[in-house]
Amino acid sequence: MLYRTVGQFKTTYEADQALFPVRQDAVLLGIILVLAWVIFPLTASEFTFQAILIPVLVFSLASLGLNILTGYAGQLSLGTGAFMGVGAYACYKMVTLMPWMNPVVAILLSGFFSAGVGVLFGIPSLRIKGFYLAIATLAAQFFLVWLFEKWSWLYNYNASGAIQVPNLDIFGVYVTGPQAASVTEYYVVLFVVTLLTMLCINLTRGNLGRTWKATRDMDIAAELIGINLMRSKLTAFAISSYIVGVAGALYVFSWKGAAEPNVFDIPLSFQVLFIAIIGGLGSILGNYLGAALIVGLPVVLNLLPAAFGIPIDSAMVEHLNIMIVGGLIVFFLIVEPHGLAQLWRLIREKLIIWPFPY
Amino acid sequence: MKHFTKWAVAAVVAGVTAGSAMAQELYAPNLAYRTGPFAATGIPLMNGQADYLTMLNERDGGIGGIRINGEECETGYSTEKGVECYEKTKSKAIVTQPWSTGITLQVLPKTNVDEIPILAPGYGFSPMADGTTFQWAFNTPSGYWDAADMIVQYLEGQGSLDGKTIAFLHLDHPYGKEPIPVLEKLAGEKGFELEPIPVGLKEMQNQSAQWLQIRRLRPDYVVMWGWGAMNAGAITEAVKTKFPMENFLGVWWAGHDADLKIVGEDGKGYKSISWSFPNPDAPVMADIQTHVVDKGLTKSNAEEMSGVFYSRGLIISAILAEGIRVAQEEYGTAEIDASQLRWGLENINMTEERISELGLDGMVPPFQTSCANHTGHSGGWMLEWDGEKFVKVSDLLTPNVAGYQDLIDEKAAEYAEANAPWAMNEECNVTN
Repeated sequence: MLYRTVGQFKTTYEADQALFPVRQDAVLLGIILVLAWVIFPLTASEFTFQAILIPVLVFSLASLGLNILTGYAGQLSLGTGAFMGVGAYACYKMVTLMPWMNPVVAILLSGFFSAGVGVLFGIPSLRIKGFYLAIATLAAQFFLVWLFEKWSWLYNYNASGAIQVPNLDIFGVYVTGPQAASVTEYYVVLFVVTLLTMLCINLTRGNLGRTWKATRDMDIAAELIGINLMRSKLTAFAISSYIVGVAGALYVFSWKGAAEPNVFDIPLSFQVLFIAIIGGLGSILGNYLGAALIVGLPVVLNLLPAAFGIPIDSAMVEHLNIMIVGGLIVFFLIVEPHGLAQLWRLIREKLIIWPFPY
Repeated sequence: MKHFTKWAVAAVVAGVTAGSAMAQELYAPNLAYRTGPFAATGIPLMNGQADYLTMLNERDGGIGGIRINGEECETGYSTEKGVECYEKTKSKAIVTQPWSTGITLQVLPKTNVDEIPILAPGYGFSPMADGTTFQWAFNTPSGYWDAADMIVQYLEGQGSLDGKTIAFLHLDHPYGKEPIPVLEKLAGEKGFELEPIPVGLKEMQNQSAQWLQIRRLRPDYVVMWGWGAMNAGAITEAVKTKFPMENFLGVWWAGHDADLKIVGEDGKGYKSISWSFPNPDAPVMADIQTHVVDKGLTKSNAEEMSGVFYSRGLIISAILAEGIRVAQEEYGTAEIDASQLRWGLENINMTEERISELGLDGMVPPFQTSCANHTGHSGGWMLEWDGEKFVKVSDLLTPNVAGYQDLIDEKAAEYAEANAPWAMNEECNVTN
């Protein structure tokens, strides 16, 4: 009913190939964008910004980066956390060495460092595949975290070995550090996330995206039709690591404010990988759904007992929370092994033909 | 069934307190960790903290006639949850207790903007001692640099350190690296050789490589800055490699009874510096027994309550309560706010008389804070494991703060500069 496509005629090829051939999709996206850009900033409390909105966006972006590599190009990676770390440390070094630099520019530039590192660790992908490649990226994970600990130049020889985000401003408005208002931090994150999401949607629909998909589906066949596998795989590593690096910079600069090396350790990689898998590999939307489920939902669940006035221990809530979220993950994966994005796709298809299924 | 009644009682009590809480209370949240990899050490500390506040609420109806709500927010020692909890509690909180060096580092700059005092007793960033720079942060009664100094003092009492080797076994983490600047400075002054041996977070339970290195080094002493599973790992490994336990010392967080009980008699001689000590005969313990334990309001048990960590949690709450009381007296109101509590915490004067008035005899050394000195540098005792429990083996050791005061000032200034613009306490004209 709501999703009726009757009457939406396409008279040109261009219209048929548009980003949203169904009008309702475009409207829905418009509503979400208005929510994100206008309604949330006007209504959200500081807690909502810091505990839900900013982390969900940051993790969505990290998962988006991983999805380019794993979901679109089919190269399994377990080094996401470390690549996020490269972005964060690069950004930290840039703003401390060049304090005049615009922090948003620094965040966007920091991705190039992780892209470089990503390509370096992506080279083995030319020879090895699947689980073996996962082990090679795991090496990146261990090596880089070790490097963050041992190379004291990276954290400016701080006694604590942690990096602290300085207060940085653009035209007198603080955008990072403790002086920054949550809403400003949110807008920075939202701006970067929106920008990179648009880039990714277009990339994955274009020539490069099709090359990646061909590589993922069968690399020998792809090679036979003339795709340069080296180029395809290494661009996937570069672009994926770029996005992941930017997400890492945002993770520290717009959200946490301080980080020690071990926050970039393997649990972070797994968390991002789980978001990508539960959201749906090979989809853009899935990253947002997955991040909302894995990052956002536990926070909301934590608030529920207090909201209903149920007197229950905080530690007990945490235990229940882990059980509920774990249960939901299992449930969603049984209902739809291809992730939440696929679930939405099915619902949408059903809605389009409703109430007359063929 | 027994559990069910317990829960039901707890639910009713919590319901009643929640109901009355609406009326009037001071909200002093605690970012607790009763879950996750460090839960074993967290639970006794949290129980001690909670029980002391419950005792005050039950016995005196709170402090100055107002009840204290020491609600816990579970972090599981994770820095991400720490941010969540801090943001969740900060609107009504008069204090924040971050409970991990990682969370402290994250919350420290924010509290300076949000104007909420951080109470981080015995942990966190050592330069927080400089109260003019860190006007909202308190690590009473002693910081890590004090601990390092006292340990070296104690070792010097056993004979000159000139030409000796001290292996510094530490967690490779901001927490473990904290004392290195002071230890290096002392190494230069006293002529001993410092050999830092880091233990990665992933190797905490398997330290065979580190202990092989220690065997090869043959150090005269091993000083440990460990936490969580690392302590038990190191102690069992030391027993296995037959390292003489009397030459093995740890910071206060490495003196958990449960870690030593694993090795029992073999751990005899292991030492840990501490600014708290369990005294089962102290009047406060009797009060907790009547007002908390007998009423079934505790989550603790007798064995845990006789341990070092439970009593440390208790002391931490006592320091907080004392800060609240001082602030209430100064401002003449029971309902103090965050900035008034800040004044209270920097004007604590825990004299021997006050300590015994509070019924904490022998559980904490006397100390005094000021606007320039947010640590108090109480000093501490060297505790030794006698095979069953920890006993005091030294008189009160006091840190020689003058020896590293310039280091405190330097690091505090560095921090303020890196976090510019940083609000300092300009009014404070006391020097320590």
